[in-house]
Amino acid sequence: MAWRNLGRNRVRTALATLGILIGVVAIASLGMATAALQQQATADLQGLSNELTVSAGPDNSHEGITANQVDDIETVAGGATVIPEKTNFTTLSARNGAETRLRVTALTKADAMYNVTRGQVSNRLRSGALLTDSEATRLGLEIGDPVSYNDKLYRIQGILSSSQGFGGVRRELVLPMSAMAEQDHYDSVTVLTTSEQSVNSLTTDIESWFNGQDEQIVNVRNFAAVQQNVDSFLGTLQLGLLGIGSISLVVASVAILNVMLMSTVERRGEIGVLRAVGIRRGEVLRMILTEAAFLGVIGGILGVVVSAAIGIVIFEILIGSPLDALHWHSARYLLYGMGFAVLASVLSGLYPAWKAANERPVEALRE
Amino acid sequence: MSVIELVDVVKQYESGEELITALDEVTFQATHGEMVTIIGPSGSGKSTLLNMIGLLDTPTEGSIQLNGRDVTDCSPDELTEERRSEIGFVFQDYHLLPMLTATENVELPTMWEPQLDKHDRAVDLLTRVGLSDRLSHQPTQLSGGQRQRVAIARALINEPDVLLADEPTGNLDQDTGATILDELTRLKETEDIAIVAVTHDEQLVEYADRVVELVDGTINS
Repeated sequence: MAWRNLGRNRVRTALATLGILIGVVAIASLGMATAALQQQATADLQGLSNELTVSAGPDNSHEGITANQVDDIETVAGGATVIPEKTNFTTLSARNGAETRLRVTALTKADAMYNVTRGQVSNRLRSGALLTDSEATRLGLEIGDPVSYNDKLYRIQGILSSSQGFGGVRRELVLPMSAMAEQDHYDSVTVLTTSEQSVNSLTTDIESWFNGQDEQIVNVRNFAAVQQNVDSFLGTLQLGLLGIGSISLVVASVAILNVMLMSTVERRGEIGVLRAVGIRRGEVLRMILTEAAFLGVIGGILGVVVSAAIGIVIFEILIGSPLDALHWHSARYLLYGMGFAVLASVLSGLYPAWKAANERPVEALRE
Repeated sequence: MSVIELVDVVKQYESGEELITALDEVTFQATHGEMVTIIGPSGSGKSTLLNMIGLLDTPTEGSIQLNGRDVTDCSPDELTEERRSEIGFVFQDYHLLPMLTATENVELPTMWEPQLDKHDRAVDLLTRVGLSDRLSHQPTQLSGGQRQRVAIARALINEPDVLLADEPTGNLDQDTGATILDELTRLKETEDIAIVAVTHDEQLVEYADRVVELVDGTINS
């Protein structure tokens, strides 16, 4: 019965359903978009999540981390990979006249720190160098070309990707430790934890080894705090967007309320007849609620289909793996959207249904 | 024993600041197998009386008995039950549901109880009122007389004891009206029901076993 009643004014039913569809799409696709952002953020931070950086604190009597201190770090770090680095800035110029200012890092164990997009990276660079992509292009350099630092020549062995997580651009030249031999301290020490170790506990261990109550010899940083900030930000963003999406579903509910009210007012005479022939109030109520629920279900299903498609596109654009959109952490928004749609529709139908069911047949039949 | 009996029924309601007495101590009854016609000028309270008999409204004073049971103080839900099982309605405007077929319209009062399969009875009733070839037609595909016959079949689906008709021939021409009245006369005997009709149509007076005249809310004997 409910189904056929909806069919009597198809345009009106279609428009109400469209409203629900849009509401569901708003909630579900915004939810999926934030899920994509979260996934991307996690992936970006993943690479950094096993890393901590030790640098000289304000109370360190040297300009940086000494070799002895590096040994101590290695002791505390256990099986973790300890990579001391020296850094500086320099300007490179090319035969084509281009110039660029970039960061220079000198270290050993280059293969533990860097991945090359072209060429190769070895543990000790010897006379080799690594250069980031953007700078290589700007200077017109390729693998095998020479670069000069401190009057010494190095050959480009590998090209590094210029993009860093979160849209950062890296401009770096990597040289062997010998390139900064005249500097005896290390500017920073990167420690890469093994899979059994916790970055946070190693951070604490190193800090407590070196630092006293009021004495900060070393400064240890990891990305845990950053990750937390990012997670927290994304969480807030998600709530905000879902809130906005919900508003649109509330608007759709108002539309359904309107449609149901109009429909029951028009059918007053008919409903009066139903009551006269002995249909109970509860049965009339159920009939109208079912009509409202149908609107929600149909709009919801269509909305889910459209949202799934939009979600797949979003995941393709933001992450590059479109089918991840259908994994639970993102697909659950489809479920929430659908559930909300049906709930909102039934709630909107309550007042019209109640009104129609409780109308006195005598009055209604006067129509 | 009468099927329906009203004793000293008074119906008053407020209209603005006035108290209007629609029915003033009306006593009325109808029994199985008789057709009673209620006539009277406009505003005499005929519709109000029919609503009382049909348990669509409750009296201000007085009592109503249905098959010997006092239904005067029943709740709306209890009255609904009584209407469902004991009373059938036929309206001037037929009041069929446009998106249902003739058969479905007849089954309508039973549609919320799927366990009660009245389909066969619906087909049987439609056949008896001469519409066996119109079972799947929708109301828009039926003439006025045919629609009224569907309405009569619907009124009988739950085997009521009373059939109430409000101007049953009001929208029909003379000949079609006569056909309908023939139908009702047949049914009052075969189904052993009481038929109470309210009307302006003088044809109904001829077909009636008894005529009751209502003027200004009281019955003229």
